[in-house]
Amino acid sequence: METLVYICLAFLLVFCVMAVTSRSILKSAIYLAVASATLGVIFYLMAARWAAVVEVSACSGLVTVIFISAISLSKERKDDIHKKYDDEKRMRFLPHLLIIGGIVLIAAALFIKGFRVPDSTAPAAEDFREIFWNTRQADIFGQIITILIGGIAVSVLFRDSKENGDKG
Amino acid sequence: MTAINLETVMLIIGFLMILAGCYCLIRTYHMLKIIIGIEVAMKAVTLFLILAGYVNGHIGLAQAYVITAIVLEVIAAVICAGVTIGLYKKYGNMDIRNLTRLKG
Repeated sequence: METLVYICLAFLLVFCVMAVTSRSILKSAIYLAVASATLGVIFYLMAARWAAVVEVSACSGLVTVIFISAISLSKERKDDIHKKYDDEKRMRFLPHLLIIGGIVLIAAALFIKGFRVPDSTAPAAEDFREIFWNTRQADIFGQIITILIGGIAVSVLFRDSKENGDKG
Repeated sequence: MTAINLETVMLIIGFLMILAGCYCLIRTYHMLKIIIGIEVAMKAVTLFLILAGYVNGHIGLAQAYVITAIVLEVIAAVICAGVTIGLYKKYGNMDIRNLTRLKG
């Protein structure tokens, strides 16, 4: 199982870096979705099954749909995007930075004792549903309020843009 | 010097993901790319939360936090996408520098 987690972690980092450095914004959104799916697999292998389901359905599904709809609403020419934002040139130091950061972190993990994360202990016999519904009730209220605020904010934003379009 | 365990590798990968996300936030002007940078950094944070639960043995509590974090992440992405579309309709591009010209 550990080998699979290592492979998934490598894929996760690679797809995240590709999402950040890709020239096309559509490809970035798709790489981000793949990274989310990989993270979902990691959660599942770490016995966090509910978090895996939410990660795959919400982050890999819903966020990708939002990104692609936002991209499809804009009609910027593909050739112009690279010239205008110059992302490839601006992001060219990221691989070097990641390699240096990775070497520093690995050296820290090897030589600094406090940096190392201890091995996992045996999981406590606790039920996720019990915790979520009984212990963390305030979180559920917060989530409901956040979703309502998000819905209201999006409806206001779209209404404003429609009015602007009508005036224009 | 001992071999690095799986949990430490996860910590290192998470730090590198946060680095990539923050670099994207600093260097790009495309608003959707900025949201992608935030998402990448948030993924590392959710990985850290699950890792903490995995190490302590309280994976159920960690999942409750992660689900809350994911809901907030999705709402933030939706609102930012709405702002991006508004920006595009107003100025014809998704350049974040245009936001400094907004009034009221």
